[in-house]
Amino acid sequence: MLNKYFSRRNFLKAAGAVTAAAAIGDLPSDLFAQQRRMAKFPEKTDLILLTSRPPQLETPLAYYKELITPNEALFVRWHIANVPTSVDLTAWRVRVGGNTEKELQVSMDDLRRFERVTYTAVIQCSGNGRGFFRPRVAGGEWGNGAMGNVTWTGARLKDVLNSAGLKAGTVDVSFDGLDGPPLPTVPDFVKSLSIDKAMEEDVIIAYEMNGKPLTMLNGFPARLIVPGWYATYWVKSLSTITVLSKPFEGFWVKSAYRIPDNDCGCVAPGTAPKKTTPITRMTTRSLIVDPADNADLVLNKPVEIMGIAFSGGHSIQDVMVSVDGGRSWDEARLGEDKGKYAWRQWSYQWRPAKPGKYTLMARTTDMIGGSQPYEGLWNPAGYLWNKIEKTEVVVR
Amino acid sequence: MKKIIVLLMLSAVAGFAYAGPEGSVHSIQLPEIKTELKAGEGKDVTERFCSICHSLDYITMQPKFTRVQWTGIVNKMIRVMGAPIPEEDAKIIVGYLTAGYGSGD
Repeated sequence: MLNKYFSRRNFLKAAGAVTAAAAIGDLPSDLFAQQRRMAKFPEKTDLILLTSRPPQLETPLAYYKELITPNEALFVRWHIANVPTSVDLTAWRVRVGGNTEKELQVSMDDLRRFERVTYTAVIQCSGNGRGFFRPRVAGGEWGNGAMGNVTWTGARLKDVLNSAGLKAGTVDVSFDGLDGPPLPTVPDFVKSLSIDKAMEEDVIIAYEMNGKPLTMLNGFPARLIVPGWYATYWVKSLSTITVLSKPFEGFWVKSAYRIPDNDCGCVAPGTAPKKTTPITRMTTRSLIVDPADNADLVLNKPVEIMGIAFSGGHSIQDVMVSVDGGRSWDEARLGEDKGKYAWRQWSYQWRPAKPGKYTLMARTTDMIGGSQPYEGLWNPAGYLWNKIEKTEVVVR
Repeated sequence: MKKIIVLLMLSAVAGFAYAGPEGSVHSIQLPEIKTELKAGEGKDVTERFCSICHSLDYITMQPKFTRVQWTGIVNKMIRVMGAPIPEEDAKIIVGYLTAGYGSGD
């Protein structure tokens, strides 16, 4: 039933709301110096434009009324200017080499001959929610729209690595894509995983998203999927996999995408961490998608408060909802379970019996007890955002 | 079936059509999107150097920063991200960003 509700009524609502999304009040009014612009990129619908070169495009919140994020609405984030715009599939290969028994040139046909693996997993930018940090931090000023819930299909990375044959002494594996820097002095976007992580069962090289080829801007023809971890590792348009006998020292792991090396990944606002470590697993979080912030509700008319909740691969235990600013909490009804890496929709029936202002809040807990803080935890790069969000509504 | 109809309706509403690979070559053309920076001393130098590596909405997207913060960002672009900006021009850029996109302190 829940599914039917989400997939029909709200789908149309979501579609209609897209063009108006910038004015809905999804974000604090002071979030951006200029009004958020919408932009239409190839194979994508109108998305919120952060930057055009390289493209960074945010998903309007209305799409999160859907269990699965449509391909054309999924956010886009590239790091360096020369993004791939044309790929010849007959010529495209993933080179697999380094500390291996042999070097492979893996074609799309080769990739499709490996065992086919399919699961649904949340893809989320490390900096999702950066625009909410106080004090503000530099970077891509995302609202909550740098995430999506997508069904990925591909080959296991470990099957590909095993067919190349790992030599003794392997420590890390690095991943490079077809994107390139505009100048030789700009560090190319290359990421790495430890060999133990790379050989995990669920790490795949995906060639389909939601049953279709990847869109170019989401990493055509194939990208790495590291479910449960932030998307910085999900290297797009894969071109080279290098097995390393020494720790990877590249800029995008050694210097960028790092968080304070402590339990919360946070420091006192405005201060610098003493020691940092690479960001990895996503924090546990929830979001109220409907009603929207500043919505007007009708006295005594039942409202379905709905949203999403997910964790870094540890499923969702429950979602608690408060309609009184956190004084009292009640359990929400959970929607379809698409597995431990997917987000779970939730809904809560509420009939406001008194006029006035209400603060709606949602708080989720995952299966290992991970949950959300009442106040935003701060770090200088603006990562790991998972504060309990507040949605203000007025009942008349 | 109903879901298919809804999907078709969404396609019409959102104006999207799935463009799969045609033949073996899959190509897209990125849109040209222009961002106009505020008028001010050093605008031309800022545009010239910053747009070598990225669009100018990278600037307009940022919160209002202090001079110290803008200096840190420009230095990071030079030392870490490999931007070939001479010292004199870097000063002009910091001045422009602080005046046009600064917090006033």
